[in-house]
Amino acid sequence: MGMKKKWRKRHIIETLFKGIMFLSSSVVVFCLGYILWTIIIKGLPALSWEMISQVPQGGYYLGKEGGILNAIIGSLYLATGGTLLALLISLPIALYMETYMGTSRWGNLVRLALDVLWGIPSIVYGAFGFTIMLAIGMRASLLGGIIVLALLEIPIMVRAMDEVIRQMPKDLEQAALAIGSTKLEVALHVVIRQMLPGIVSAVLLAFGRGIGDAASVLFTAGYTDRIPTSLMSPTASLPLAIFFQLSTPFPEVQQRAYAAALVLTIIVLVISLGSRWLSSRLEKFVIK
Amino acid sequence: MKKRYAIHFSIIMILAVLLSACGKTTSESTQTGQSGTITISGAFALYPMMTRWAEEYQKLYPDVQFDVSAGGAGKGLTDALAGAVDIGMVSRTVTQEEQDKGAYPIAVTKDAVFPVINSSNPAYSEIMAQGITRDMFIKIFITGEITTWGEVIGDPSVVDEIHVYTRSDACGAAEMWAKFMGGVQDDLVGIGVNADPGILQAVISDPLGIGYNNLGYAFDLSTGLPTAGATAVPIDLNENRTADPDEVADTLETAVELIASEKYPSPPARLEFLVTNGKPEGLVQNFIVWILTDGQSFVAEAGYVQLTDVQIEESLGLVR
Amino acid sequence: MSMRGTPRKHFSLDMDDRETRSSVSVRKRREVRVKSLFFLITLIPVGLLIVISIALAIRAWPILQQYSLNDLLLGEVWKPQKGFFGFLPFIAGTFWVTIFGVLLAAPPCFFAAVYLSEYARRTTRAIAKPLLDLLAAIPSVVYGVWGMVAIVPLISTHISPFCKRYLGFLPFFTSDNPTGYSILAGAIVLAVMITPFIISITYEVLSVVPQGTREASLALGATRWHTAWHVVLPQVSGGIGAGIVLGASRALGETMAVLMVVGNVAQMPKSIFDAAYPLSALIANNYGEMMSIPLYDSALLGAALFLIGIILVFNILSVIILKGVLGKSWV
Repeated sequence: MGMKKKWRKRHIIETLFKGIMFLSSSVVVFCLGYILWTIIIKGLPALSWEMISQVPQGGYYLGKEGGILNAIIGSLYLATGGTLLALLISLPIALYMETYMGTSRWGNLVRLALDVLWGIPSIVYGAFGFTIMLAIGMRASLLGGIIVLALLEIPIMVRAMDEVIRQMPKDLEQAALAIGSTKLEVALHVVIRQMLPGIVSAVLLAFGRGIGDAASVLFTAGYTDRIPTSLMSPTASLPLAIFFQLSTPFPEVQQRAYAAALVLTIIVLVISLGSRWLSSRLEKFVIK
Repeated sequence: MKKRYAIHFSIIMILAVLLSACGKTTSESTQTGQSGTITISGAFALYPMMTRWAEEYQKLYPDVQFDVSAGGAGKGLTDALAGAVDIGMVSRTVTQEEQDKGAYPIAVTKDAVFPVINSSNPAYSEIMAQGITRDMFIKIFITGEITTWGEVIGDPSVVDEIHVYTRSDACGAAEMWAKFMGGVQDDLVGIGVNADPGILQAVISDPLGIGYNNLGYAFDLSTGLPTAGATAVPIDLNENRTADPDEVADTLETAVELIASEKYPSPPARLEFLVTNGKPEGLVQNFIVWILTDGQSFVAEAGYVQLTDVQIEESLGLVR
Repeated sequence: MSMRGTPRKHFSLDMDDRETRSSVSVRKRREVRVKSLFFLITLIPVGLLIVISIALAIRAWPILQQYSLNDLLLGEVWKPQKGFFGFLPFIAGTFWVTIFGVLLAAPPCFFAAVYLSEYARRTTRAIAKPLLDLLAAIPSVVYGVWGMVAIVPLISTHISPFCKRYLGFLPFFTSDNPTGYSILAGAIVLAVMITPFIISITYEVLSVVPQGTREASLALGATRWHTAWHVVLPQVSGGIGAGIVLGASRALGETMAVLMVVGNVAQMPKSIFDAAYPLSALIANNYGEMMSIPLYDSALLGAALFLIGIILVFNILSVIILKGVLGKSWV
């Protein structure tokens, strides 16, 4: 008789928490849906082929012709460059922290520094970058934007990778060490493979942060109505395009801001789907 | 083996791309001739106008490239002084300190801030018939002594609260509105909303709201009428408790006329400036001269007011 | 790969007859070189933080010289043109908005992540993950506009009156503020913004838990929730804590979206329906206009420095608290 009661109690708890989880997920999905709905409803009417295939013609911000191709390409350049640069720096850091620093005081210090860096408002990064750029005589440019975005993205990339590495079961690594690999080899060959899906996830989180941020690129990448042709030319970006268009007095232009937001959302969706597919292909390397 | 070659290869490719990209430089604005790049940044207020001017100028001189970004009047000033841009757009008066640092302001157009209420305000008709005096504005926006709409129209039975909105971002519009009442932006009370469209939206959504907006936002530029849902309140300048014809701006055209003829007080009407680091030369100088002459004809469609001939002469004197 | 330990021969043939460098000393040397390189790279975050802090401190120095720290941190009046630089309302504003944002976000995210990891089918996951990435990439400006258009009216027409009526006896829930521009609006927008980070990281750490432990637990007759709560979670509680801390840090630093909905009134908040003015909004709103007022830029960058200080303290406290609560599972 005791068993039945226990089982029933467990069943109730299970159902209860299942309900809570379902509710929570629904709330999250609902909010996401609400935002996407708002963007779509307000942006779709203004979205047209011209919008994504042309650069702004002169009266664009007054409601005339043109599109946001400059911002689309600019954002892609900026975010891709910044994310790659960040990846180049973050992966070694995450690996080094795991392999050599572990939970030592050094390791925790670096983690602390990263968490604090993550919390700094992007406008501070932008201002900081701008000050440095002024000091070395660099004008607002693609390169400046890429570097600042990379700095912005490194904290989240490293921490996300770090968390995944730390929670990984250590037996694989220990096995590799046992057969005589150096720590480096273990890191490069074993750990990376195990965390490939985690890397993809971290990269996507960082990419999302980078491509959507306005304050940091405002000061460092500048803005222009043309498509950037070199690393030293100023670059438009989608968040800034949205910001500027929202600030004009013309309702048609404000609507275009929503269309730009929609374009940005679609870009992220495409990249994220592509990477997730890549990640699932990489799942086969993970040994659970 | 293969992996190593792949890594080496990609590193070389990346370096090659970087080097080639760095090699190309953007052309600097040249001292003579009409070719080169002009970089501009600054006030959101002037941004649409500047892009329009840039477009028209490029039609005349196709070799001139423009890079225009917004970021606020302060940023424009900072950028211009730091040499990060050629021209800064500033939507407020340039202070002496800033001029001492090298700022060289040239007035290029005129703009005005209008107090705005919701069209469905319960006391709407009375407010529009009487107007609001400067003194009352001070009590609404700065000291907070007037709290109900009834006090505004002189009818104590109306107890609807006044919901005051102001600009949260440091901007020319707020500064000028405050200056009209003898204060500075920090003195303005009310819920801070970001940006011109923001404060307009706040008033449109709140029947009891009052705020202030630039000419281009208070009026719908395509129809020439007040923006749907919000109306500019007449400022009762002579304090006779009626809104005289000279005080009422019911269409864009009348508003522009009031500003141009200086019947609308300055502040809150104001000049918009382009700021350079020291006197402008060459390419930049030619551009500004053009703005002051042929460029003035494009001003109205963007929601600004042309300068008077006297003002144009003055500005030209500064540039040439 | 065949291994020959003698340093004399640097090349050997492995099973495929390819030449490989397998000498231990070569590998060892490579490791040392790469290790130093990686170490230098690892110094970048710490270095960057120090450099940024120093740069801010230098720019903030003038105001720190003129006013005592007491005046600045505890002063309640902010009128820079008259020389009053009291930061307390902003610090309070930052705290209120961030804490409520995290409180609103953490429980649903936690449960949603557990659901995704322990219960959801493959297709659900395949859809959910890109959706989360999407949420993370939506620019703050768009969140801000959504907040203004959807959340602010919701608060002023429904939530605020509702709370006034039923919870009005608590000053926490009532306010004079007639608009929806409030701490609650900021908290809701922030909560939605940090959701993808918390869920993503929680999910990732849950997914590296070996499937074996789950299977063992289920085999013993535990329900799925029981397994999740008692077996899986304890293994990764540290990771989940880190996810929440990360979300909170993001909330502390978020600027654009919050400033569009929070009301930007420099007052000490007493209710979630009051308007407030977080530090980050202060910096963003005024960064462009610093030149004209003496000490203004100093004050703003000092505000930035304070904010970093707050984030630092917050992170240190989180580590201490989490260590205490989770004990030895917080590695």
